Amino acid sequence: MQLAVNIAVLGSIYALISCGYVLIYRVSRVLSLAHGELMMLGAYGLYATASLFSAHPLVALAAACALGLMVGVAVYFALMWRMTGESVLAAVLATIALGILLRGAMILVFGTQTRHPLDELGWENASHELWGGARISTVGLALLACTALVYLGLFAFLRATRWGIRMRAAGQHALLAAQRGIGLHGVYALAWGLATLTGGLAGMLLAADAGLEGTLYIVGLKAFPAALVGGLDSLLGALAGSLIIAGAEVLLIHYVDPLLADVVPFIVLLAMLIVRPWGLFGTREELDRV
Amino acid sequence: MSQPRSSGYWHTRYAQDTALVETRTQKFWLAALALALGTYPFLANALWLDLANQVLLASIGAVALMLLTGYAGQISLGHAGLLAAGAFTAGILFQELAAPMWVTLPAAAAVGAALGLVFGLPSLRLRGLYLAVSTLALHFIVIHIGAEYETKRGYSTGIVMDSPVQDARAWYFVLLAASAATVLFSLNLLRSRTGRAWRAIHGRETVAEALGIHVARAKLTAFVVSSMLAAVSGALFAYFRGFVSVEAFSLYLTIQYVAMVIIGGMGSVLGALLGTVFVVLFPYLIDAAMRALGVADRLASLVFAINYAGFGLVMLLFLVFEPQGLVGLWRRAQNWALLWPFKQRPVQR
Amino acid sequence: MSALLRVEKLEVVYHRVVTAVQGVTLEVPRGSLVALLGTNGAGKTTTLRAISGFLGLDDARVTDGAVWFDGTRIENLPPHRVTRRGIVLVPERNKVFEGLTVDENLEAAVPRGSSAGPRDLAYTVFPALKALRRRQAGYLSGGERQMLAIGSALACSPRLLLIDELSQGLAPILVAELMERLQAIRAETGATILLVEQNAQVALEAADHGYVMESGRVVLDGTPERLRAHEDVREFYLGGSERRRSYREVKQYRRSRRWYG
Repeated sequence: MQLAVNIAVLGSIYALISCGYVLIYRVSRVLSLAHGELMMLGAYGLYATASLFSAHPLVALAAACALGLMVGVAVYFALMWRMTGESVLAAVLATIALGILLRGAMILVFGTQTRHPLDELGWENASHELWGGARISTVGLALLACTALVYLGLFAFLRATRWGIRMRAAGQHALLAAQRGIGLHGVYALAWGLATLTGGLAGMLLAADAGLEGTLYIVGLKAFPAALVGGLDSLLGALAGSLIIAGAEVLLIHYVDPLLADVVPFIVLLAMLIVRPWGLFGTREELDRV
Repeated sequence: MSQPRSSGYWHTRYAQDTALVETRTQKFWLAALALALGTYPFLANALWLDLANQVLLASIGAVALMLLTGYAGQISLGHAGLLAAGAFTAGILFQELAAPMWVTLPAAAAVGAALGLVFGLPSLRLRGLYLAVSTLALHFIVIHIGAEYETKRGYSTGIVMDSPVQDARAWYFVLLAASAATVLFSLNLLRSRTGRAWRAIHGRETVAEALGIHVARAKLTAFVVSSMLAAVSGALFAYFRGFVSVEAFSLYLTIQYVAMVIIGGMGSVLGALLGTVFVVLFPYLIDAAMRALGVADRLASLVFAINYAGFGLVMLLFLVFEPQGLVGLWRRAQNWALLWPFKQRPVQR
Repeated sequence: MSALLRVEKLEVVYHRVVTAVQGVTLEVPRGSLVALLGTNGAGKTTTLRAISGFLGLDDARVTDGAVWFDGTRIENLPPHRVTRRGIVLVPERNKVFEGLTVDENLEAAVPRGSSAGPRDLAYTVFPALKALRRRQAGYLSGGERQMLAIGSALACSPRLLLIDELSQGLAPILVAELMERLQAIRAETGATILLVEQNAQVALEAADHGYVMESGRVVLDGTPERLRAHEDVREFYLGGSERRRSYREVKQYRRSRRWYG
């Protein structure tokens, strides 16, 4: 039973992070490998706002979320709009370079000690007992709730609202979308903003659970196989992929070898790439036309 | 390809046609370069000699990656894994069997070739982003295997190696020979049928297939050759450092090699070399800048973070503003000089 | 100016070396339907792209001449600015969002101004689409796709509709029906239409005015009657000659006629 709880919590971490990968890819066809670092930035953002507004934890939380949104939009306008139209490799490398830059900058600004934003907020991470003798922490519950809310919100937004439809349209045929009056810059910036917001949320929750260190971005890197296994342009796929990878990781660590933790997502990814490259729920990429 | 310097095409014998160096001016400058390279170790101090050694060592790996990504167009983010494979092969053979260098290097090459085949198999089905991701996954798997070996055999801090070459100057000539051999091998390979096949695949794969090029074989050849060179580079690295540990082969190392290829300029062996010089020298540039600004002591603990941030920034600047890299800058300078007083820039790819 | 759109001596260059359109001058009066004819490679699509502002993606630029829309110059403007002024393009390929349903396709279009009305216009003009509301656009047939493409262009409440190759890949009976619908659109919305067509017969039947382009230049223009009567048009575009001519002969003949009068 404890295993199931662990899988659920780990799965929701991966899911919350990978919906950012999916959002950006679906709308602008760019794989953002800076997502891990942006997630870490969100966590440090919470630490900063928590220190600033230590008397009002909810304000700090809201401010950190708003900060995440703004940073995502800023990243788009500062960098990514220049890479539209360039090759796939160039755009991906740009995100990798951005990630490296952010990593260095964060160490320069915040130093290398472990921080605990939860202490700054004045909240406690209690442990709760569930049925079957399993235990789950407050943060774990918050993670599950958050992931569910975010996914439901995103599904509703993309399916039902006009701008959600326009975002999907821009992801399919950017040129045609521009010809129908959809402002591509606005749509892409919104995607980056939302992605950074959700990633930042994941980072904040992770930092609340385990403390904030300079190696948090590795979790972000492990989450991107989850996005790919599910299909890079499918939110449902991200959810499914996250559960599969979390399940494989927890079970293999428990029954086989704890050292496998970091490599399991990539083994699953490789297997999926061999069998079905576009993931479980992704759309098949178009073949070359001569 | 380089700018034409000789006017007209007066070759009458095959030997003239296939020569790498055509004109007397080129031969002169090549001789001058050889002289400079040959006397360098006797003129440079210890720091600069070590830098040169590092550059020569890294250039082998960079040229290998350039062949794969710059020419054949197969994106590979798994380069550090291949370097690690070569280093670990040398280390394991040395520790378990006390094998000498002239056994471990070919063994590393063989392991590299085999691993290249594994890395290359996804390229038959996948392209672009998905191929890059598959090489990334394979990189992590290789690193994991290395880490498993380290912990299972008790070398938690790494494998120590004895190198037959001790003196820095001796290393210089060994590495110079290896690097020159790699460059010559690559230049000739690129002029051959394989090289042309790679360029065709890079341009339009389906058209290449329609033209009768065996695309699968060419792709696998690219991976195998590149991985072989990378593994040899890794093995040499193991001997050079005297030490093999899995921490040295992180994703950051792959990114550094990719940066060498990008900053140098895709699709050019000269680009690989220029990029290598830039990336290897970069931390020392940062160090010198910090010392010049007088902040060296204050920020000493943060120097690796500054390196990180600076490296990311420079890579971004090149990607955004000069996608053709240092070679692009070099070619622009050449065009300006060759075309002066005219200003029309010729149409680039 | 009485003309809604006026193109003056337009010159478009690709990759800084290839001149695709040289000195094209044409006029589209308000409320009219103008046909732009010509064989492949004549520069018709490039002209449309230059008008709608979508050149930059192909490394092409307007290097000379001007495009006037309702009195203001619009050449080399970014595409969303041009669309906002009321010029909407129905492209040749990639004309619908395949992953979205018909309804969503029409929702996605951004109407000019704040009006929400024009979405229903597509269903009024193309009743056949009503039955397909929930179908994914990728599963539509060619004719249905073209209807959806025009419908979603209408949802942007255009003042000038640019249509590229309306009849491509469609059965003649469908083409006739679509041309009828175009006239209905003109009647309902008062929109002006610039139609690029290879099928000269169909285009000249519906148009008020026609231009014939070739190798980047306008070589003939006039009312459909005058064009139909012109022997060159009859021979090369309406299939009026007795013996078959090759494409190369067409171009050489035209060139010689242009040079020697």
